[in-house]
Amino acid sequence: MSSTGASPARTLVRRRRSTELMLVVMAGLITAVAYTLASLGANAQIPARIGPFLGLLLLLVGVAHVAVRLLARGADGTLLPVAVLLHGIGYVMITRLDDELAALQTLWSFVAILAFVATLFLVQRTADLARYKWTLFFGGAFLLLLPMVPGLGVNINGARIWVRLGPMSFQPGEFAKIALAVFFAAYLAERRELIAASTWKIGPLRLPELQYIAPILVAWGFSVMVMVGQRDLGSSLLFFTLFVVMMWVATERVSYLVIGFVLFGAAAFMSWKMFGHVQTRVDIWLDPWEDEYGKGFQIVQALYGIGDGGIVGTGLGRGSPDKVPEAQNDFIFAAIGEEMGLVGATTVLMAYLLLIGAGLRIALRTDRTFDKLLATGLTTIIGVQAFIIIGGVIKVVPLTGITLPFVSYGGSSLLSNYIVLAILLRLSDASARRLGELPDDPTPRERWAAWNLRRRSRRAGLTDTEMHEVVS
Amino acid sequence: MNRKIRQLAGALIAMYIVLFAALNYWQVNRTEELASEPGNTRALIRQFDTPRGPIVTADGVVAARSVQAPGDSDVKFIRTYPTGDLLAHITGYYTFGLGASQLEQTKSGVLTGDTFTQQVRALEDIFSPTNDNSGELRLTVREDMQAVAKFLLGPREGSVVLMEVETGAVTAMWSYPSFDPNLVADPDYDAAFEYVTELQADDRDPLLANAYQQRYMPGSTFKVLTTGAALDAGVITLESFWEPAREFLPPQTSDPIENYGGSLCGGDLAEVFRRSCNIPFAETALALGAEGFQDGIARWGVGEEIPIDLPRPAASTIGDFDDIDQQLPLLAIRGFGQNDDQMVPIHMAMVAAAVANDGEMMAPFVVDAELDHDGRIISRTQPEVWQRPISRQTAGILQDLMVGVAENGTASCCIALDNGISVAAKTGTAQLNGPGEPERSHAWIVAFAPVEQPKYAVAVMLKGTNAEISAGTGGRLAGPIAKAMLDAVFAVDPPLPAETAPETSDG
Repeated sequence: MSSTGASPARTLVRRRRSTELMLVVMAGLITAVAYTLASLGANAQIPARIGPFLGLLLLLVGVAHVAVRLLARGADGTLLPVAVLLHGIGYVMITRLDDELAALQTLWSFVAILAFVATLFLVQRTADLARYKWTLFFGGAFLLLLPMVPGLGVNINGARIWVRLGPMSFQPGEFAKIALAVFFAAYLAERRELIAASTWKIGPLRLPELQYIAPILVAWGFSVMVMVGQRDLGSSLLFFTLFVVMMWVATERVSYLVIGFVLFGAAAFMSWKMFGHVQTRVDIWLDPWEDEYGKGFQIVQALYGIGDGGIVGTGLGRGSPDKVPEAQNDFIFAAIGEEMGLVGATTVLMAYLLLIGAGLRIALRTDRTFDKLLATGLTTIIGVQAFIIIGGVIKVVPLTGITLPFVSYGGSSLLSNYIVLAILLRLSDASARRLGELPDDPTPRERWAAWNLRRRSRRAGLTDTEMHEVVS
Repeated sequence: MNRKIRQLAGALIAMYIVLFAALNYWQVNRTEELASEPGNTRALIRQFDTPRGPIVTADGVVAARSVQAPGDSDVKFIRTYPTGDLLAHITGYYTFGLGASQLEQTKSGVLTGDTFTQQVRALEDIFSPTNDNSGELRLTVREDMQAVAKFLLGPREGSVVLMEVETGAVTAMWSYPSFDPNLVADPDYDAAFEYVTELQADDRDPLLANAYQQRYMPGSTFKVLTTGAALDAGVITLESFWEPAREFLPPQTSDPIENYGGSLCGGDLAEVFRRSCNIPFAETALALGAEGFQDGIARWGVGEEIPIDLPRPAASTIGDFDDIDQQLPLLAIRGFGQNDDQMVPIHMAMVAAAVANDGEMMAPFVVDAELDHDGRIISRTQPEVWQRPISRQTAGILQDLMVGVAENGTASCCIALDNGISVAAKTGTAQLNGPGEPERSHAWIVAFAPVEQPKYAVAVMLKGTNAEISAGTGGRLAGPIAKAMLDAVFAVDPPLPAETAPETSDG
């Protein structure tokens, strides 16, 4: 598999990269056209900064693409372009809603792409992640609970999911979800047989030893804490779904799915009974018009906007999405539905389905349990998160404050989603190497370690053959 | 694990299908219900975010235009009306909270550029730096004539209509009281609402364009219609003669009909028309019979809405005819324009114009042309004949009869035009009070000029709301207004000199 020229597999890999380049450029162009249209629609003029904007945009996506070429050249070719497209649509919408936020979002885009490249660079072997599972577990738990620390956590719109440190504020939950997904993938990869083995039965449900079910109880505890302590139903639901789905996939036992959702349902019911804000959310979900100008205002306005958009939308820059409070964050999907209509909104849904498809394909292709579970977990995060917020905006599920991945305004969200994307690309690159689609060359770090080892062994007076024996 | 992952994929796809279905529900099924929710202001905001073209009078004065809204406003543009109340009944108003009226309502598509023609033309300009596609309305109404009408009527309630005989183009159409559309379109909703509430409470109906949306008892001006119908039916001729009389007792009653002021009145058709005796026309109506009278009058368009290019026009009427055979005195009285006869002011101008136009009654219009953003004409109003109420011959006879009124009859006091331009007219004084009640009457006049080559027809109506009007007659009160109106329009648009006028008949 080494240097015998262009084998079919290597051509495949190369084609994958040129497809990615083409798609990324296309996503960039769509964004540029949308940006121009939005400006034309709103101000009747071609935006003055279109030149610099285009340059910046192409530079950013170019950097991301080159990073994949250098650091993960066997990776799936559709993930990055789809993410760029979503990011671009979101950016256009944010610019259209608020110039100041757009400037900040530009900065966050830079940071997010940097984080993307850094993740690809730092995580060159998927096993590196598994190795730090306990660090990630405690780090994730710490981040998750951070907003509940008095003095640090900030209440914004009723939810306590923000942490403010001086001038900086961020949503630690966005990062916690990655850390916890990695931890769970690693934990379950090691113990899935033990957990799957059931020793006692309750009715039709077969359960494992209590000690092996402990993590799911811990996860449930976390979710309840998030739900109660941070009043954040969306994140709580997201975490819990993540854990339950990963348990279910790892153990292949439906009982986990059932137990998980029974537990969560019980917690949700309790909090509905006990907390006014949960009841309010449910009431608004059932009939937002009952309090149209009060608590239901945001969702009613969002529905007016979406309805006004109709099939083809009002046209970019020609609707009034600013009538919806927080349109740039949780409600950005309403703005898309209004100005781009059913066509644009469906495009966004399709984009998430493509991400889900690509993510789960990575999980299917690899034969390593950890990689499988991690790809499943990260994909579930994106798919479920987008579902929860889109469903909330269009009154399919109760509304919960949570960002739309890649699309919503916000540094924490963009950063964490690009990190997820980088990890998915790494997982996909790893499986391509294992499938022999390209040579599994040692990473620079491994080369350095090997060189170091050789140097030390030479100093110790070992010959190369002896060395080889020591290493193997 | 792969089976579970595939099941997960299926579950996620199912979830997104639910989202897609919900999107369809809101964006396809429910879009109209959402749009009609009272709390939904998006369609309105969108309208106010797009520029809206001006409404311009025939003499080039802007009657309505959009200006940039003040910075703190919800919308980008607000509508202003530089001519104030002068053209309010024609332009109407366009407001955020109180809807729209008149041309602002019916021609909204042209003004915003939403008509098919404009949309197609806009495609050519898709890459132009502006997306302003707004259209313009050019009126037939002249701002200066409108101002003359307003000045002449002053604080008296009533209407003045001036129109072109051959086309039906309305040159002036003023009613007092009017209203200020600027105050209705006030971006301060509360102030606007208060103003409109006040207007609605006013029993003089300032919001209503009385000239075409209201009807009034026409008095003797109605004799033009009765005479036309009777001449066409052959019931009377120029040679008909009525013995001078003070009283006439129609069948089925003991209450006699009198002439105006109880005078002794009679003679041939020219004389009874000139002096506006009542009894001959009462007899003529009876001679036509209920059916003949009703049919003859209906041919003038009475009973149908005025076919003007403005919303919600009124229809003239001669009342209920169901059991008129048992109430012949009422038929007789309706013959000279009393009882249940009610005419829309602009309809009386159209009657005079039809007489002048050899028996063809044109549909009136106020919009001359619709223009796109580049000033290209989208459509120009083509004059249309609405009714042919009388034959050309009958029209000729009526023209002569009306000349008689202007020269030696009830209008001779007041209608003679400057520069010797010939004129024909008919006056009316509609008695509104029952016997024994204080005098109350509407004063009317209709006229056209020049007689040889008729160009303009005018109708003036003063409502009998005060003692001055009620004590006067149509000739004395409305006559000077009609004269001044015609003098004014001929000052800016002089008739062709008689000798160069093209011969119409045996040339």
